Amino acid sequence: MLEVTNLMVFYENMLAINNVTLTAKKGSIVGVFGSNSAGKSTLMYSISGIILDIKKKEAMKGGERITVFGKVIFDSKDITNLLPHERAKMGIVLCPERRRIFPESSVLENLKIGAYLDKRNEKKNLEYVLNIFPRLKDHLNRQGGFLSGGEQQMLAIGRALMASPSVLLLDEPLLGLSPYYQKIVVDSIKDIKATKNITVIVAEQYARPIIPVIDYGYIIENGSSVLEGTSESLLNNPDVKSAYFGV
Amino acid sequence: MQIFIYGLINSISLSLVALGFTLVYSISRIPNFAHGALYVATGYFAWILMNLFHFNYFISAILSVFLSCFIGAMIYRLVLIKIRGMEISEVIATYAIGLAIIEGLRWGGLRGATYTLPVIVPGSIEIFGVIVDYQRLFAVFVGLVIFLFFYIFIKFTKTGLALKGIAQDERAAMMLGIDSDKMAIVSFILGSAIAGISALIIFPLGNIVVEAGYNVLVFSIAVSIIGGLGSWLGAVIASFIIGYAQILTEVFLSTHYQMVIALLAIIITLLIRPSGLFGKQKELEERV
Repeated sequence: MLEVTNLMVFYENMLAINNVTLTAKKGSIVGVFGSNSAGKSTLMYSISGIILDIKKKEAMKGGERITVFGKVIFDSKDITNLLPHERAKMGIVLCPERRRIFPESSVLENLKIGAYLDKRNEKKNLEYVLNIFPRLKDHLNRQGGFLSGGEQQMLAIGRALMASPSVLLLDEPLLGLSPYYQKIVVDSIKDIKATKNITVIVAEQYARPIIPVIDYGYIIENGSSVLEGTSESLLNNPDVKSAYFGV
Repeated sequence: MQIFIYGLINSISLSLVALGFTLVYSISRIPNFAHGALYVATGYFAWILMNLFHFNYFISAILSVFLSCFIGAMIYRLVLIKIRGMEISEVIATYAIGLAIIEGLRWGGLRGATYTLPVIVPGSIEIFGVIVDYQRLFAVFVGLVIFLFFYIFIKFTKTGLALKGIAQDERAAMMLGIDSDKMAIVSFILGSAIAGISALIIFPLGNIVVEAGYNVLVFSIAVSIIGGLGSWLGAVIASFIIGYAQILTEVFLSTHYQMVIALLAIIITLLIRPSGLFGKQKELEERV
């Protein structure tokens, strides 16, 4: 189980995340929805620990001062001050916004680099990834940078799965995808939960395709969590309907 | 013919030296200005071990390369880890360490023609009418072996793949559980090992002189900049350009102009094509 309690993140004096509390039960899909600059990515960075790296690099450059309050607890261990690679070792793997594929490596090599933490199950994981994303099979030797956006997204999710995560964080997995690829990605999220029992936390501004598959969701506005509930309650909420479905 | 063969040998030994510099830069984004110092230091260590401690050649060669790796790792672990990300400080710190090592060796008595390393394979051979000594051919051979080793290491081992990941996108690699500091130390160890090995092969062709440290550094930088900082293929190709340019200046002008040519090449590259021949492909970066 992953818990975020009273998380507050400041960029200088700007409050990016305001007192957000979030719980993700083992093996569930949790959605985090909100518009641009609502704080979704910052929340994902805080859970995966990347925020600490950003903080360090900014401090070195003499850039923005970033402060983090609150706690991130994973399996009843406080991981708030652990570095990203340490958290990844515990099983929290982030599939970042804009995918961040290794552009000069081939698709297969991208997946192999993803298997850094779990070389033992590399074959099994590779089989699973190619099974849920059969399109990648045709491009195994192609450079990652030359794939289309949808293929890159599949590769990014696949690469994260190679690490055998227990919590998979997906940051804007539908960004810039055609409806065809959106469906593939949403289906893969369902499959990841069903066959691998991986906890999935999805941050997305395009909520419509994701809300039906989540178990529990949070709506974030200007850094604060304004609404939370199960899939049905969010679907039937008039505010959510008007803001996210345009009804 | 002479120009061709000596150019080839020169280029390969040059790329051997420059590969270490490029490798460290591509993985840790730190320009290791102490690279030349490690090169000279390894040669000197080997000499000390052989002549003062009377070890045999191979033991002292191996020990000195290890020592150079150790110093490289320590430079990162003790100093650079604290200032990583501040680019100017990285340059100043590595340059200061390099200067300290080189000038320390000079102060410690590394002067004159007394310091030579033995040639591993004596004798010479005539290829297409050009006399080439075996040591130079051996340098080419070792260079090729090291390239092959790296190709296999980067392509097929877990650490090698992790290095490749870090080199392309540090943060994305971190998300997959790769420790950036650990990989930076690995890159320093590998870079220093290459510097050390090339020193052991190239120094027997002449004397161990401290000035070689500066030469190696300048030529490594020239090669990396012309090839595109951080590009391994670029470094190899650029060392052929610089390598042949060196030989041509030696034949048609004079040896003293070699350094001028290298520095001019840096300036011209920065003016015409700042990212170098094989700089990071910008068109690949964003595709939404």
